[in-house]
Amino acid sequence: MSNPNSADVVVIGAGVTGALLATRLAKTGKSVLLLESGPRMGRDQLVERFRSSAFKSDFMAPYPYSPLAPHPRYTPEPNGYLQQKGPHAFNAQYIRMFGGTSWHWAAQLWRYVPNDFRQHSLYGVGKDWPISYDDLEDYYYQAEVIAGVGGSPESGSPRKHPFPMERVPASWLQQRVTARLAPEFTVLDDSTGRNSRNYDGRPACCGNNNCMPLCPIDAQYHGGLAAQQAEDSGVQVITEAVVYRLEHDEKGRIAAVHYYDWNKVSHRITAQTFVLAANAIETPKLLLMSVSDKFPQGIANARDNVGRNLCDHPAIGVTFDVDEEIWPGRGPVSPCSIGQFRDGDFRAEHAPFRIDISNASQVASVTKEVLAEGYFGKRLEEQILFRAARRLSIKNALEQLPDRNNRVTLGDKKDELGLPVPALYWNVDDYVVKGTEKTRAAYDAIAARLGGTNIKHSKSGAFSNRQHITGTLSMGLDPATSVTDAWGRAHDHENLFMVGTGVMPTVGTCNVTLTAMALALRTADKIIEESRHA
Amino acid sequence: MRKPFKRLLALLSLLGAVALAHAADDAQLIKRGEYLAVAGDCAACHSEKGRAPFSGGHPISSPLGTIYSTNITPSKTHGIGQYTPEQFAAALRRGVRADGSNLYPAMPYTAYARLNDEDVAALYAYFMQGVQPVDQAPPATALPFPFNIRMSMKAWNWLFLDTKPFEPDPAQSAQWNRGAYLVQGLAHCSTCHTPRNVLMAEQLERRLQGASLGTWYAPDISPAALQAKPAWTRAMLADYLASGHAANGATAGGPMLEAIEKSFSRMTREDLDAMATYLLPASPAAAAPASATAPAAAVPALTPVQGDDTPQALAAMSVGARVYMNNCASCHNTGGQGLNGLPSLQQHPLLRQPNADNVAMAILEGVLPEHGQGMIGFAHTLNDGEIAAVTNYLMQDLGGSKVSISAERVKALRAGGEPSPLLWVARGGMVLLVLVLLGVALWWRRRSKSGTAG
Repeated sequence: MSNPNSADVVVIGAGVTGALLATRLAKTGKSVLLLESGPRMGRDQLVERFRSSAFKSDFMAPYPYSPLAPHPRYTPEPNGYLQQKGPHAFNAQYIRMFGGTSWHWAAQLWRYVPNDFRQHSLYGVGKDWPISYDDLEDYYYQAEVIAGVGGSPESGSPRKHPFPMERVPASWLQQRVTARLAPEFTVLDDSTGRNSRNYDGRPACCGNNNCMPLCPIDAQYHGGLAAQQAEDSGVQVITEAVVYRLEHDEKGRIAAVHYYDWNKVSHRITAQTFVLAANAIETPKLLLMSVSDKFPQGIANARDNVGRNLCDHPAIGVTFDVDEEIWPGRGPVSPCSIGQFRDGDFRAEHAPFRIDISNASQVASVTKEVLAEGYFGKRLEEQILFRAARRLSIKNALEQLPDRNNRVTLGDKKDELGLPVPALYWNVDDYVVKGTEKTRAAYDAIAARLGGTNIKHSKSGAFSNRQHITGTLSMGLDPATSVTDAWGRAHDHENLFMVGTGVMPTVGTCNVTLTAMALALRTADKIIEESRHA
Repeated sequence: MRKPFKRLLALLSLLGAVALAHAADDAQLIKRGEYLAVAGDCAACHSEKGRAPFSGGHPISSPLGTIYSTNITPSKTHGIGQYTPEQFAAALRRGVRADGSNLYPAMPYTAYARLNDEDVAALYAYFMQGVQPVDQAPPATALPFPFNIRMSMKAWNWLFLDTKPFEPDPAQSAQWNRGAYLVQGLAHCSTCHTPRNVLMAEQLERRLQGASLGTWYAPDISPAALQAKPAWTRAMLADYLASGHAANGATAGGPMLEAIEKSFSRMTREDLDAMATYLLPASPAAAAPASATAPAAAVPALTPVQGDDTPQALAAMSVGARVYMNNCASCHNTGGQGLNGLPSLQQHPLLRQPNADNVAMAILEGVLPEHGQGMIGFAHTLNDGEIAAVTNYLMQDLGGSKVSISAERVKALRAGGEPSPLLWVARGGMVLLVLVLLGVALWWRRRSKSGTAG
């Protein structure tokens, strides 16, 4: 089939949110074209690449990389795709391919807590959302049904319907940690899109403990499934199509998109409606690149909000050896967490946070550690066995407040197609630092309850990224402080919508994908409703 | 006043007790009927997801077109609520409806013909009193000519329907006879496992010797096949029927998994043991455990990965081995040894079948039981050539079999099996008949004409 040059709707980015929206639009009979800058690759090829990779702890290693649609890489050496301009490096990871970044994740699909939507009204910090939890509840559930989500009903996010999936049975680690931390700390099942029974033609988790970088049996939901479903629903997908410019007409409506194929041949596609779903860093980059006489600062950027308010969960971690064998590495890698610090009046003073307890195999990391300590021979084996059976690894998801200075801009370097790379400025404020102190105190209390030895906190003042990239396309009621309206529509362009985590004004204390999925379904319904009235 | 009242009360309670006793009998009969309906797997065809139990509408794709199962709830308008016990028995054992028209043998009445009168009565009690009536018509069945003429079944029945109920063999144990009664009757094993002739009737001389259902293959379960080494034991057979798994590594998929989930797994262990006793008449003690006699499967040599030697390592692998490593090894292990309770493939009974259809079908469709670990299907992610290659890798490299499958066969399985020649045989036969009749008529006319002239 030859590629068309027009469609009712063009969606840019074949990740989970773009794919869900495209599927829903296609099911109403619209012609939908889904453009993806990266290549297409199946699960089996990715498994092969993972098996063959020498860098098993690099979750990006199995994923295809092309300088024609580059993304950040860090192993064996950082590729410098992101230009870091701030006091802290924002080491983003995302995947440019059919299915997008949720190919590699632990399928954490959380709802925000209701107060996250009213942060400024309740606590005097950050921002309120233009919508409430109740506005999103139904869409949260639709997204949960699509992905087969199970979790703890005590997560603090009220629900009208029970989870569509029963939770995967608790591993030994989860059982022991839950029992020993009670009652001071309440350990709850994570909300995840991971099958505990056959669901939607996919089998139950059988404990490969390989959720990241890749579930080898599709027991966990991911964007590759969503993108395939889009195609099966009649969406036309073009991969290796790098959109580099949005074109507008004299009224300011978006008229066309221009993309390069991987032979650097340019194509122009017109449509009635355009949806940007190209990640919270790449989408602002595209908007900033699309300058014209009428919009010299780029599309949707008349008031200089595109790319600003870049947020993630700046994370700190701790590892220690528990005084009993807990055997991490059996079952899902990320099964449970402590949610009691996610909300409360303290949010006026310091960042709220969730504490995530890892169940990933620790064999590789303790082996590295023991070798560095100089063990060899029989003692080496003993030490690996001893520590791998007892090692507990914990990190947090700590809420950073939106800050206009944290932002995505265009870098001065170019990629192989001649397109600018993203430049990032990222800092963390006192709100985060205070939250970090509270987290550390909780880590010490947890380690004490578990008889921890060999306690190692992550480096003080350093933060790792959790890849929950939000804020850069913020929704809001006031065009002076936001990029999109409550439906994800660009304030400045009536027929331009944005979905994905970038439209989320605040980052909350949970993984962000479910909220982005729910918002994308809601935006899809809005587009359908408006076209019915048109 | 008081005394007569007391008496009346006593009388009433006596009557009540009698009624209760009757009710208890009835309840017991209904309950037995319910169990027999499970053993007969009536729900497999007459219950459809999203519809009320036994209200029909389940599409059965036959080689001749789609047959929709009927409503067998006691609805007086759309079900069998008007059926007398005799009419019910005739439908069950003779394939004849209350209105006298014939059922298609998609309804396994040739097997149910073995049922005894007591069991038919219990089934009648259950369907009339234990099932909720549903006044709803399922879609109508429309088969192509000449099979849309139900009369044609009369001739078929005359040729192929054995109406004799089961007769116990006094030389055999009660357990054997119970097993025979179930296997031949309610469980209708031969419906799938016995090959059919050109008119779709079971070939009795090849009873239970294995047959293709078009896609999935119902293996040979005759005593000789079950006793062939590595042999099944009765315990293994009963375990398999109860759970879909057995100690010899067998795992169920496809229609057999469905039969296990809906029927066999809900039968008593005594009945499953009885069926195993009948199916496998040899002394189970004589059979050696499968693992001791199974041929040692070839474990492929693995090249350790050092740095990026991916291209060289992959170049040395066959397509089948490569597809296996990328799609199967995460659960079945790199050499098919199985992993943490996930099935071993090395000695799987499927790899000893005379064709590789079931291996390819399991890969295409997956195996997704209602409970327990499932396997994803690969129809969307692997092409015919890849599925043929990995099937052959399993059959030959892991299973030591000489059987192989072609990409063309995988293509046919993906499409739902080869179309049946029956339709063309039947239509061709009729064209032939018309030609013969025409010929006879012409000859007769000529003869009579020439007669007149002469």
